[in-house]
Amino acid sequence: MGVVQSKRQKYLFLAFCLLPTFIVFCLFTVYPMVGGVYYSFFDWSGTSSVMKFIGLDNYKRIFSDSVIPKAIFNDYFFVFVKVIGIMVLSLFFAVALTQLRIKEAPFYRIVFFFPNIMSVVVIGILWQFIYDPNIGLLNGLFRAIGLEAWARPWLGDMTWALPSIAIPAIWAGIGLFMLLLMGGISNIPKSLYEAADIDGASEWQQFWKITVPLIWPQIKTSILYIIITSLNGSFVLVQVMTAGGPGIATEVLGSYLYQRAFEDFKFGYGAAIGVVILVLSLATVLIFQFLLKKEKVEY
Amino acid sequence: MRNKSFKKSWLFLLFALLLLVLAACSGNTTTEEPPKDTETSSEEGTTEGEGTSSGISGDLEIQYFVGGYGDAWWKEVIADFKAAYPDVNIIEHAGPNINTEMNTRWISNDPPDVVYIDGNGSSETQMIADGQLMDISEWAKGITMENGTPLLDSFISPAEELDGGKIYSLPLVFDTWGMWYDSAWFDEKGWKVPTDFDSWLASMKQIKEEAGIAPFVTTGQYPQYFQRGVLNPAFAAAGGEQLLNDLANGVVEAWEGEEVLQVMKKVEKIVEEGLVDTGFAAYNHTQSQMNLLLHQNAYIPVGFWLPNEMKKDTPESLVYGFVPTPMNDSGKSMALIPDIRTVAIAKEADNPEAAKAFLEFIFTETYAQKFAESTGAIMNLKNVDLSSNDRVPEFLKGINDMINSPGQIQIHNRNTPEGQEEQDIAVEMTNEIKLQIVEILIGNITAEEFVERMTNKAKELRGQ
Repeated sequence: MGVVQSKRQKYLFLAFCLLPTFIVFCLFTVYPMVGGVYYSFFDWSGTSSVMKFIGLDNYKRIFSDSVIPKAIFNDYFFVFVKVIGIMVLSLFFAVALTQLRIKEAPFYRIVFFFPNIMSVVVIGILWQFIYDPNIGLLNGLFRAIGLEAWARPWLGDMTWALPSIAIPAIWAGIGLFMLLLMGGISNIPKSLYEAADIDGASEWQQFWKITVPLIWPQIKTSILYIIITSLNGSFVLVQVMTAGGPGIATEVLGSYLYQRAFEDFKFGYGAAIGVVILVLSLATVLIFQFLLKKEKVEY
Repeated sequence: MRNKSFKKSWLFLLFALLLLVLAACSGNTTTEEPPKDTETSSEEGTTEGEGTSSGISGDLEIQYFVGGYGDAWWKEVIADFKAAYPDVNIIEHAGPNINTEMNTRWISNDPPDVVYIDGNGSSETQMIADGQLMDISEWAKGITMENGTPLLDSFISPAEELDGGKIYSLPLVFDTWGMWYDSAWFDEKGWKVPTDFDSWLASMKQIKEEAGIAPFVTTGQYPQYFQRGVLNPAFAAAGGEQLLNDLANGVVEAWEGEEVLQVMKKVEKIVEEGLVDTGFAAYNHTQSQMNLLLHQNAYIPVGFWLPNEMKKDTPESLVYGFVPTPMNDSGKSMALIPDIRTVAIAKEADNPEAAKAFLEFIFTETYAQKFAESTGAIMNLKNVDLSSNDRVPEFLKGINDMINSPGQIQIHNRNTPEGQEEQDIAVEMTNEIKLQIVEILIGNITAEEFVERMTNKAKELRGQ
């Protein structure tokens, strides 16, 4: 009888822990998602109670909308550039701070993580000033070292606006993944590296043959996380820095959704774009889950 | 026994937590700001000669956007109204994000009584399409000014009639777009203010040479500033109100005509001569306006709210000068396209009588004077003499004179298209023109290409 009671207690305790979070999750994540899909079948301004059911019309419009392909391209540009940029840099810093025995490592850890604490909006405005054609740091630097020709209106140039936004996106993301990878690296027994040294392996070989395979779960998690947050979160930086401009040079699905839903009062269409983002995110993550699959390595 | 009480207290805690979560997530019951100024019937009502009308009482909810015009005028008017109608309890909903904040009330059909339609997130066209505004045609026709003239005849820009003669709002603010410059700087340098396109081009070339700056700037993030500030007056100056509205509504023949090409060739000329700030595409509205204040540029198209919006950053030496955008040919009059901000009564208003009393209350000469003093724009009333009012900025007096003595400038109205389909086409035309404006100002396309792309868009939208 004592065993049965403690099992019940156990389940009750689990329920007590999980239920509030589950309710909040349903209310703030599941319900809006379902609501978004629901609204995508309507013609609704978002500012009144007048809603007209139009079935799949919004989706048909998406297929013929010339902005959508460009927005999708820009979204995946960010994904691609951010994955490579963040992974390379955070791997480098993680290895440097754990294995190169730098005395000021704790200081660097804090400094590199700092952008992660800043609000994305603040980062966007900060970099707007850095990129300012007249008073910005970047152009000022180029002019000071005699490279006048390199100074240009970064966020106002159709070719350069997109890469210009990618840089603060990478800069802001490095800290978190660096810490994650450092955590993974610190779990690798030092004896492995010592054995490799004795066998005559170079630092580079050690990196590829020991470090990377052993922290592969962390690398995979980081890549997937970057993909997900990129597809959903590029909106903030784009909206703050260029509002999708010049023209549609930096338009992403998120900023286009915002424009359609809140500036053109086509909430149903915006919701449909939201569903497209959802579908693309799911598809991308599934594909990458498959591509990055690797047996966990243990030595 | 200990196990049982242990279990009970956990259960109790769980239940309490659930209740807390549910309560926090239950519908927003009171999202309004607490009622401000809750003085009631202790006030004597003798001001403004209105007297206390019998029957005007209860709560009156007023929603107004606070932006470049500030809220000083609203506060004063509301205070005077309360003094005149002491039985009315006014609840104000105001702020820079008020349209988003009040959105849920409009969606749930529980709107405020009076709404001033302005700012981000507001669209009178959408509100009318969704049937949210009260039809005030009959009532409005009966309102007279202090001197006996009907209100509807006293507007500079008339109240818009839609759906076969129905009036859904009263046009309160006469704002318009034009070219701004620092008149003190111009005086100092001996630069003349242009009156037509040729003199404007010459002026810009002169400024470029003498000051070494790109004279023209606009916000690339919001190309509608260029559309409303330069293109619309240019189209109206070239072909009148008909052309202006036809182009905006995507009438294919209008886009295939000569006038629009001539206008775009003027724009192309400005770009070719290197007169446009190369960084414009990155600027938002405040950045481009700051450039004017810092003398990085000399001309910028904005509306009347500019001085108020940049109040905190304006240097002492700067004097705001305004001229209707000089895109007209020599000999032709300059064009002004009013950008009217309206005030309306909600269809589901709880207190329509008080709402009507309020609307009647505000359209007076006194408040028109105060409006010009505190907002930098003018109220949409004809024949208000601002010349002897020291507190009104000079540029406003100048424009007011121009408006009331026709011949110098022509006022052309941008009319709301009728019907959902036409409105959708107009929205899509605006979206397309915004993209092409950036392209032509950057120098990526020619005038011919601009017109061709817009014509194709119009054809696509019209199903041709």
